[in-house]
Amino acid sequence: MAQLSLRGIKKRFRNTEVLHGIDLEIGDREFVVFVGPSGCGKSTLLRLIAGLDPMTDGEFLLNGQRMNEVPPSRRGIAMVFQSYALYPHMDVYENMAFGARLMGLDKAEVERRIAETTRMLRLEELLQRKPRELSGGQRQRVAIGRALVRKPEVFLLDEPLSNLDAALRSEVRLEIARLHHDIGGTMIYVTHDQVEAMTLADKIVVMNAGRIEQVGSPRELYETPANTFVATFIGSPRMTLLDVTRKDERLAMADGGGGVAVGALPAGSAFRLGLRSDAVRLAKGQGEGFAGQVVYTEYLGDNAYVYVRLADGTLLAARTAPNDSFAPDETVTVTVNPASVHFFSAEDGRRLTPQAAE
Amino acid sequence: MPHLRMTGRGLWITALIVPPLAFVAVFIVYPIFSAFAYAFFDWQGLRRGEFVGFDNFFTVLFVEPYRSWTINAFSHNIVVFFALMVLQNGLGFILAYALWRELPGARFHRIAVFLPVVLSTIIVAYLFKLFLHPLFGVVNVSLKGIGLGWLAQPWLGQSDTALWSLIAAQSWHMVGFPTLVFLAGMQRIPGEILDAVRMETESEWVKISKVVWPLVAPSATIVFTLLFVGAFNWFELPYIMAGLDGSPFGSTDVLGLYFYRTAFGNVSSGQQDFGLGSALAVLIFVFIAVIAGIITVRLRAREIQL
Repeated sequence: MAQLSLRGIKKRFRNTEVLHGIDLEIGDREFVVFVGPSGCGKSTLLRLIAGLDPMTDGEFLLNGQRMNEVPPSRRGIAMVFQSYALYPHMDVYENMAFGARLMGLDKAEVERRIAETTRMLRLEELLQRKPRELSGGQRQRVAIGRALVRKPEVFLLDEPLSNLDAALRSEVRLEIARLHHDIGGTMIYVTHDQVEAMTLADKIVVMNAGRIEQVGSPRELYETPANTFVATFIGSPRMTLLDVTRKDERLAMADGGGGVAVGALPAGSAFRLGLRSDAVRLAKGQGEGFAGQVVYTEYLGDNAYVYVRLADGTLLAARTAPNDSFAPDETVTVTVNPASVHFFSAEDGRRLTPQAAE
Repeated sequence: MPHLRMTGRGLWITALIVPPLAFVAVFIVYPIFSAFAYAFFDWQGLRRGEFVGFDNFFTVLFVEPYRSWTINAFSHNIVVFFALMVLQNGLGFILAYALWRELPGARFHRIAVFLPVVLSTIIVAYLFKLFLHPLFGVVNVSLKGIGLGWLAQPWLGQSDTALWSLIAAQSWHMVGFPTLVFLAGMQRIPGEILDAVRMETESEWVKISKVVWPLVAPSATIVFTLLFVGAFNWFELPYIMAGLDGSPFGSTDVLGLYFYRTAFGNVSSGQQDFGLGSALAVLIFVFIAVIAGIITVRLRAREIQL
């Protein structure tokens, strides 16, 4: 059982507040991913949960018990560091045994746990090696193994894939997902890569500038982003945001040009329209819709993304079939699929819900 | 004309290197070799007598009173070595750890600890001689001032406190050196490794003994070797604070003083014996070279790459 509650957590370094009151509940066996751009406070929050840094304000409860004053080693939490942080003077076996022995486990139990972990992570061949004799991926597995041996209630992983090359990254990602499935502990994973977040998480916590922007399942975040930050952060290519005004039952660009018909609209007359690449369609030449010019095409084999510069300067990404060919500078007309557009407030970027037409 | 320029450069290098090399050759290399040679001759003052083979070595090691003097001085060097190992290097490690953890005032203390190292030994020795003066030395005056007058001692004037007073002065003087070396070693340890240890234990002792020390140990090689060489070559500080006789009654006599006295004589006894002095010098040299070599090789073996 591991139930984490973060209540009003603030962190200040000297005069700079980097976390402005974080409230979050994390359930047992959940795989939670903190995601956000560099400097958003996600790693800081992880370190506060680990107990490596003291929090300025707020409370952290683990299974209902206040943890603020409990030292990191007594929290039942293990952490996998970005640089792996293996002890360079110990071999793989010692690296894993060190923490287990410090927990006061007897020799046989330490042996048993290491044997089990070694088998699970396929480290048998490496037990006598020093960290410097291992490849990046092997070090990563040892770092995870070191955490596993302690059988913690909560695993913290700080950007664990950032030092691996692209091919290895997806492999290790799968392995981590499998591991979570097998051992079932609560995992908190920090990354700035939204693909990692989407593929691994039960629950994603999107952070920005020391605040939580939205908490939800990958699907919720993709389908109903709470604001323009989440909308543009989650999903690739980025969602296009377009300032539009209401003209009768149609939407025109803010300067009055073009116009598309969509179904239900939110209240008000001006908003930001959020368009994912699959919500738009391109047609060659002038026509009914927003006019624009093709900038370039990304060909990906099974489909292609065409980037179009609209009249107000916005760069829009549209998914097309791979064999549709659009030449640079070609004039195109953009139409939208009314069912898959998002509306946001023009003032503060919050999500607006369309109201059924009267 | 690159060729000419090269010659000019070569000339410069030659001009800069030759004088110091010549200096080293004349004042260091030549004396070492001549000491080796002198040790095998009988000497009458400065006049060289006959070749006597290993007689001089035999005399300083096995013939009284030289035998007792040699043993006395050598045993003091051993005490000094182990005492400084604990006081200077041990304290240096603790100080480095405290400075590294950035306790309040670390910036000030970093300078305060290292400052004495750059002072001349002569100054330090005279200062401590004054501090330890039995009547108006700051040590005894302070002890009396805070009501601990019964602890006041003629520190340098009695056999059981004299050597330890010198050791204390030496530690104060040089503790900044191991501190600096250890601090540099600690600062090379990546922060995440320390975080990793903190996730596994809150015991400072485990952190230091199982992680910090093993990772800093490589930098200890040089510190240990230099301390060893320094302890067995110890001369200036005892010379100034205790005099050439290692007073009182030889209780601060060390190999450096003993060798100097034997080779060049001193105020109280006009005798000088180059042969015995050289034999002592050669023995000290060989002993230091062999042990320092062993220390370096043995400790090098444990060095760790971060």
